[in-house]
Amino acid sequence: MTPESTDKQADGIPTPDRIRSVLEPVTDPELDRSIVTLGYIDDIRVEDSENTTHVHVAVTLPTAWCSPAFAWMMTADARDAVEALTSVDNCTIELREHMHKTEVNHGVNNRLSFAEAFPDAKDGITDLRSTLDEKAVISRQYGAVESLLDAGLTLEQIARLERSDLNQDAAEDRIAVDVPGAAFTVVASAAEIDRYLAKARSLDYFADSDRLFRTPDGDPIAPDNAKLIHRRARLAQVNMDGQGGVCDALHQARQSEPSD
Amino acid sequence: MYRTSDPDQDDIFVIDSHLHFWDASKENIIHEGGEEFIRCFYDYHTGFTPPEREWTLEEYRKYSRERMLTDLFENGSVDMGIFQPTHLNEFYDQGFNTVDDNAAIEADYPERFITNGRFDPREGEAGLRELERQKEEYDIDGVKLYTAEWRNDSKGWRLDSEEAFRYLEKCAELGIKNVHPHKGPTIRPLNRDAFDVADVDDAATSFPELNFVVEHVGLPRLDDFCWIAAQEPNVYGGLAVAAPMAQNRPRKFGEIMGELLYWLGEDRILFGSDYALWNPDWLVDCIMNAELTEEQRDEYGVELSTDVMRKIMGENAARLYDIDIEEKKAQLQDDAITEEFDLAAHYTDDTPSTAD
Repeated sequence: MTPESTDKQADGIPTPDRIRSVLEPVTDPELDRSIVTLGYIDDIRVEDSENTTHVHVAVTLPTAWCSPAFAWMMTADARDAVEALTSVDNCTIELREHMHKTEVNHGVNNRLSFAEAFPDAKDGITDLRSTLDEKAVISRQYGAVESLLDAGLTLEQIARLERSDLNQDAAEDRIAVDVPGAAFTVVASAAEIDRYLAKARSLDYFADSDRLFRTPDGDPIAPDNAKLIHRRARLAQVNMDGQGGVCDALHQARQSEPSD
Repeated sequence: MYRTSDPDQDDIFVIDSHLHFWDASKENIIHEGGEEFIRCFYDYHTGFTPPEREWTLEEYRKYSRERMLTDLFENGSVDMGIFQPTHLNEFYDQGFNTVDDNAAIEADYPERFITNGRFDPREGEAGLRELERQKEEYDIDGVKLYTAEWRNDSKGWRLDSEEAFRYLEKCAELGIKNVHPHKGPTIRPLNRDAFDVADVDDAATSFPELNFVVEHVGLPRLDDFCWIAAQEPNVYGGLAVAAPMAQNRPRKFGEIMGELLYWLGEDRILFGSDYALWNPDWLVDCIMNAELTEEQRDEYGVELSTDVMRKIMGENAARLYDIDIEEKKAQLQDDAITEEFDLAAHYTDDTPSTAD
């Protein structure tokens, strides 16, 4: 028996709830919110036949004309997240009610590149994805810094924090923080900091430096610039949240669309 | 004139800086993009309009001049309006919302409207001649630019291109000083990237004598827009699309206003309804009643005070378009619109307004 099949037996056939939980970290890249929380997942089917576990995920986005590049990212990410479960052999995606559903479904399920699925598109999605990832991480930085401010740190101290100053050993929902330049520790709420760290790690943020936060241009934050950088992070967060409001309103409008 | 609830405050002169007079009737549509475009507008309309004020899609395709005048002026919520043309000739046989159609309305109500022109740098020499014609015939002070417009194989153009700079030079030469690029929400079937706000930066730096009013404040790129505007003193924000969020997303509206006031300040924000996207007869009242939460006031250190709103709703646009509001009020005491809707009380001193 291969190690994989051992895992598979141990895991058993995943339930739709288990699939839903592995989809949780997949985000709408423009809003940086979970596609599960946003209600994009219509249906999850798990089929098991002849020792093969197949998962089918159906997705509907807020508008039929949501950018095909965004639709592509979400559906491809969803497939990858499900297939990362050793108990799943393969996953197919069904994008519904979208003007480019044929291209997206065909492309994602046949593992084409975006450029192969959309020959008209001028650029691939790599640059767009990285622009949106940068916005998402800076927006999450806002929440993390707010938690540290609430814990009593100053912006200047926060600018100097390194990852090693964080101590996850405190209670589950708290993080102990060694205050730079001081011989004491404060305790901060963990949720926003963890959310930031998850995104930052996924972007390989700490490859060259252990410094916890950055400017939107990716540089270390000079202490006398810390206030401006925090305000720019707030702006990124307001932008994503505001766009979320637009998508949400369009989603509701779509549900009551006239047939003309 | 908008009457505030505070009896000690003067009424507010409202300039709606973003109006359309469009035709998306089926007879005018010559490309499926034209049908998609108006349906997309309609989604935005229903997404941010109180249910009892929604239009039907058929009404929305094409409306009469009479309906527009009523929607703008009947309850006195708007005093003047600025037309922002959108031609879209690839989609609409006679154009969607043209300079000439806008100007025909202005010709009949000259005290009430300002007609803006438009250009498309892909039109080359002929386009420059057309811009000169618009200046000569209609004495335009501004242009609306639609960088996402299709033309032959092209799906858009950039404001920082060499061709666009030739047109901006022509604007400076002709004294067309207000440039309104549509930078904001994606409108299907147009290309999302063509709404990117980055090209405004270089243009604004290169033409300090021109004002760049970024329509729709760059959403979903409010962050990029504010950062550019913070560094370019000749960049302004047009509130169309952000404004109706006050109706059903008041917290988000408050945050967006907080950011705009923080990065741009109260002198560089212009109200616009985007009519007929939304109706000013409910929208003006809705925005005037919007408030920041206590948390937002603390966070941003700003308030939507009557003085701030007076600038956003009219004074800022008046400055860009050389309108002397006191002089204008005197002219409006007896113009055709005032006669038709019985608005004289709005423009005479210390008489109570009949509008609520």
